[in-house]
Amino acid sequence: MDAKPARLRLHDLQLAQGNRTVLEHIDGEFRDGAITALIGANGTGKSTLIQGIMGMLKPIAGRVECRVPRERRAWLPQQLALDLTFPMSVEELVMTGSWPSHGALKGYCAAHYRRGREIMARLGISHLAHRPLGELSGGQRQRALLGRTLMQEAKLLLLDEPFANVDAETVEVLMTVLRDMAKEGATIIVVLHDMEQLSRLADEAVVLTGGHARWVPVESFAQPGGTLPVPFLSQAISGVSAC
Amino acid sequence: MLGVLLASLHEWLVAPFDYGFMRRALVASLALSLAAPPMGVFLVLRGMSLIGDAMAHAILPGVALGFLFAGFSLPMMSLGGILSGLLVAMLAGSVSQMSGQREDAAMASFFLISLAAGVMIISLGGSSVDLTHVLFGSVLAVNTTALVLIASISSVIVIILAVIFRALVVECLDPLFLRGQGVRGSLAHGAFLGLVVLNLTAGFQTLGTLMAVGLMMLPATAARFWSKRLEGLIVVAIGIALVASTGGLLLSYHFNIPSGPAIILLAGLGYIFSALFGSHHSLLQRLRRRAAPLGAETPELH
Repeated sequence: MDAKPARLRLHDLQLAQGNRTVLEHIDGEFRDGAITALIGANGTGKSTLIQGIMGMLKPIAGRVECRVPRERRAWLPQQLALDLTFPMSVEELVMTGSWPSHGALKGYCAAHYRRGREIMARLGISHLAHRPLGELSGGQRQRALLGRTLMQEAKLLLLDEPFANVDAETVEVLMTVLRDMAKEGATIIVVLHDMEQLSRLADEAVVLTGGHARWVPVESFAQPGGTLPVPFLSQAISGVSAC
Repeated sequence: MLGVLLASLHEWLVAPFDYGFMRRALVASLALSLAAPPMGVFLVLRGMSLIGDAMAHAILPGVALGFLFAGFSLPMMSLGGILSGLLVAMLAGSVSQMSGQREDAAMASFFLISLAAGVMIISLGGSSVDLTHVLFGSVLAVNTTALVLIASISSVIVIILAVIFRALVVECLDPLFLRGQGVRGSLAHGAFLGLVVLNLTAGFQTLGTLMAVGLMMLPATAARFWSKRLEGLIVVAIGIALVASTGGLLLSYHFNIPSGPAIILLAGLGYIFSALFGSHHSLLQRLRRRAAPLGAETPELH
């Protein structure tokens, strides 16, 4: 066990949307260099928890202790959050990842462009560098968005259903890159709805149900009769598809 | 032959600017042409093309009050316009937030109130000639004080726009990315609306409150037919505005027609020409549309 406390810890956290409490008494930490799957049926508070962690939703009680600087935190929302009519190319989108740390007024230097090209090659989208975002497929767009977080050198990455509407080849590429990022020490939290993807990608899982969170080992999902009580598990993953 | 041609060109393009009032009008128009189109490009990209029109009406009561208390004092009228525009923008935003009404509906309500209030104030304190001057401007009457004011405001707008440029781009493309960095999108949005008000205030002396928005929007909407890149849109829009301003002034001089409408109509012609013959999504492009064969070079943004 790592003696050093994790970068991201939740202390008796209570989060609400409007006047309705969505999550309460959330205590736990997300391991550095690990991929944590966030699972639960619709409406159990996955997006609320992500908003709370990103500092976009103020806690009603408790706190989020995050020792990752803001410029190293990235959120990959569902694709629809992007304005696809905006006149921007794939390369330009990837390069925006350097803005938080590079500053608002400075231009890019050769090293930035070189790094951008390396990232696009790693994600297999070099040939799309100059293509407008609006002309990309769902999978290509998702690769470009992950490219932005690589450019950002994110140490905390939250992904909301990154494999939805994405082709199988892109899923493999994204999983490989995410695993590499975790090996390099990033804390990764990913909302998943697919048991097979969960067992292949995640190191641990947080199950949200009834307004509470429970940290469980991934093996609980992979093996029949795992450590979770059956009613708790079935309630938590209703709406989660098994492959 | 060449000499005659050069003399003719000189008479058409250069000689009008021998007059001080034409030189001042040109410099004022060119300053506005550098500052206004980038704002228009962002308004178009944010789906807020009509907000500029609404804000143009919003500055009217302030301009009218400035006129009522200080006569044709451009600094006072400009100050009034800025305060009035910002007040209306804040009121519309507040009503929208408190009542849940869409911002465009609240804005439409307030700009109609503003227009009526502005016309009422000017009519009570002046004459129909004054009203015409405020509504439609008079670029040929720009004096040195007005010129300095217009150039200063335009410079401030360009500088602030450069500072918040990346925040604006991110807010347009992906507001969640901006929020994730701890920057509230509403700050960039508010600063941007403030710049729109400033711009319209600078423009009302030359083009009037009603037409100042034309130099902002028409070049921006026309540019969409020529470029798919943000930088390209801004450069093309500025180019169209510069040509429309210079050309409008020359037409106004040679044919003795009102200068403000001449500038805006020329920009309008630019829009119609672009819609017909532009390189992206124009009528001509749609008629000649061919899909690139499989394996062909990837079309690049330009």
